Amino acid sequence: MTTPQAHALPGSARRLLARLEMPLSRAFDGVHNPMHHLGALTIFFFYVALVTGIYLFIFYRTSLEGAWESVEYLTHEQWYAGGILRSLHRYASDAAVITLGLHIVREMIRSRHKGPRWFSWLTGVPLIWIVLWFGISGYWMVWDELAQYVAVGSARLMDWLPIFTDPMSRNFISNEAVSSRLFTLIAFIHLVGLPIIAVLAIWFHLLRVRRPRINPTRKLMLGSLVALLVLSVLVPVYSHPPADLDRVPLSLDIDWFYLAIFPLMSLTSEGFVWLVAGGGTLVLAALPWLPPAKKPPVAEVHLPDCTGCGFCAEDCPYGAIDMVERSDERNFKLEAKVNPDLCVSCGICTGSCPSSSPFRQRRPLTTGIEMPHFTMEDFRLQIDVAADKARGAVLVFGCDHGPRVERVAGPKTHTVSLPCVGMIPPAGIDYAMRSTGYSGVAIAGCEGCDCHHRLGDDFTRQRIERERQPGLRKRVPRERLLTVWMKTGDETRLDQKLTEFGKHLADLSGEEEQTDPQESGRREEVQ
Amino acid sequence: MRRLARHVGQLAAWTLFLVVIAAFAMGPAFSPVPEGYGELKISMAHLAERVEPCRPLTEEEQTDLPPTRRVTEVCPRGRVPTLVRVRLDGELIIDRRVKAAGWQEDGRAYLLEFEPLPAGHYELELALRDSPREEGYDMQRQFKLALEPGHSALLEIGDGDVALRLPQ
Ligand code: HEM
Ligand code: SF4
Ligand code: SF4
Repeated sequence: MTTPQAHALPGSARRLLARLEMPLSRAFDGVHNPMHHLGALTIFFFYVALVTGIYLFIFYRTSLEGAWESVEYLTHEQWYAGGILRSLHRYASDAAVITLGLHIVREMIRSRHKGPRWFSWLTGVPLIWIVLWFGISGYWMVWDELAQYVAVGSARLMDWLPIFTDPMSRNFISNEAVSSRLFTLIAFIHLVGLPIIAVLAIWFHLLRVRRPRINPTRKLMLGSLVALLVLSVLVPVYSHPPADLDRVPLSLDIDWFYLAIFPLMSLTSEGFVWLVAGGGTLVLAALPWLPPAKKPPVAEVHLPDCTGCGFCAEDCPYGAIDMVERSDERNFKLEAKVNPDLCVSCGICTGSCPSSSPFRQRRPLTTGIEMPHFTMEDFRLQIDVAADKARGAVLVFGCDHGPRVERVAGPKTHTVSLPCVGMIPPAGIDYAMRSTGYSGVAIAGCEGCDCHHRLGDDFTRQRIERERQPGLRKRVPRERLLTVWMKTGDETRLDQKLTEFGKHLADLSGEEEQTDPQESGRREEVQ
Repeated sequence: MRRLARHVGQLAAWTLFLVVIAAFAMGPAFSPVPEGYGELKISMAHLAERVEPCRPLTEEEQTDLPPTRRVTEVCPRGRVPTLVRVRLDGELIIDRRVKAAGWQEDGRAYLLEFEPLPAGHYELELALRDSPREEGYDMQRQFKLALEPGHSALLEIGDGDVALRLPQ
């Protein structure tokens, strides 16, 4: 059984991505897979560049004659500190471009830019420009031949726009034309202006992301830092000869991560670069609406079951629930209210509502907050429907974004795919084992730190561990509960895990029968 | 064994990451101009003549003006576009009519061109028309340009002066 939202949009691209990422997940144990932390890694590389940049600036001289020499001093005479930090500064910035590029592609392939999530996407787009300006302004500061090429190129790009009447490039027609004050300006932009703008822009980018993961795991921070340090020692960064506007640089060792637009300009024209940059930005900005997607029905509050506890508002990863003043006569202060513009129909709120319990007798079964296209009634029906085969079988909950559980359905497994495993109310697990007679329950969700809805896996784990309300009751035998976190496409491994789990359950039942013959019948009694 | 495999995997991943960075952070090299080339920059910041010349005011016109603003001459602000023609060994490489800057076209006419050229000796001719005339030029200059590979020469057109500056 899958919900209507199941396996949305570019399924094949998503599965290909998952397949490509699988070796990394094996190596990094899922949770530490760098691909699950691309946004956070970008921020981390930004920190590294910030700290190393502050050190470099202590020795940097903001003058025409001093700029190049001070960087040379750092590179050669102080190679053991300044030189390594200079290289680290450059490589961390390059690393940020890689993680940023992958971040964009990945969010797009996983359709995390659509629906109410458009906001993070759209506010991400200016960050690309900010990151590029960071790099470009940084290269000016060295004032070597590459800086000269970049400075003239940037000025020519600006001159193409109808802004300045006196062309900016005229500042670079001769060595005499260049002003030392320019270096003060560029240093200000690179060291003060852009960092402030970047921090504000990242804050804005994450404004609608509840509990964003802004730090990668420690292991990843350490790993990437060591890797970049190794590179800095093995391949130290150097400068080109000092800038000389009486010469044209004949060969330049370009940083293609930041400066690729300049060769493109040399080979084509300023107009073409603007066309690519402007057109690319517009297309990228429009992607959340291309093609327009049908919005699945949003969560609905059912007031007779809502006590105003606020758990759902606390858990909604999209901040789509507000607790507002009670509108009915019941003696509670607050009630939940869904903002349809922010709700992505993940169902996590249903999982967090204490009223979501299949044990309740009412028909149809309702709860405080639920998805119109997959109600609590549907949930209970799905568990009950295979009750005849439940004894000795395993109930497998999956989600629409993790491994496709329907692939492992069989005589001994009944599968239910939900929009997110975070939708499973803990009482539902209890119910499946006690009232329906499944010998075990398996939950197969997205891999660690890679939940499509960002927090579903964490919440599920915390509810099972009773670290989060509502907790899974203590009476539920944890040894009969399996949680597996893996990517879509990894169904063979899921199948293996389930086979092992089946054996484990059979062993458990065997033991139980030997030690306490009544024990295994208990489940039936409860029914 | 699996632990070892995982560590090898991690090492491989970081190595790949470093290789990608190292491959593009400082190269492959790019040549902005082809081998054996230099560059000629043509930069102009030139004030052309007025479209209409200054004209003395008649007595009558003067008395019409408020006493504190009374002037004897008015100068219409607009300047004519500057026609620039540059020939290299007889071949026309620049032929542009550059408008004066500003909303009222009352500023200087600015032009900046970068011309990559094979190194060598050239006859450089500049012709400028900056008055309302329809034919002929107001200024003509000739220079000998000896361009070496990697050198960037500058033809600088100012208000009244023109200079060709070669790298030392
Ligand atoms: C400096 C550049 C950027 C940084 C540091 C950054 C950082 C982040 C972080 C930390 C997250 C939250 C991850 C999580 O907690 O799950 C995130 C999410 C996201 N980012 Fe970025 N990002 C950047 C640029 C971009 C760009 C350029 C785009 C797209 C054009 C983009 C699109 C997204 C999307 C769609 C999400 C998902 C939001 C959601 O889960 O609802 N980001 N980013
Ligand atoms: S379905 Fe998801 S996004 Fe919508 S209100 Fe519930 S938790 Fe929030
Ligand atoms: S979790 Fe349930 S009971 Fe609590 S506020 Fe939300 S809808 Fe109401």
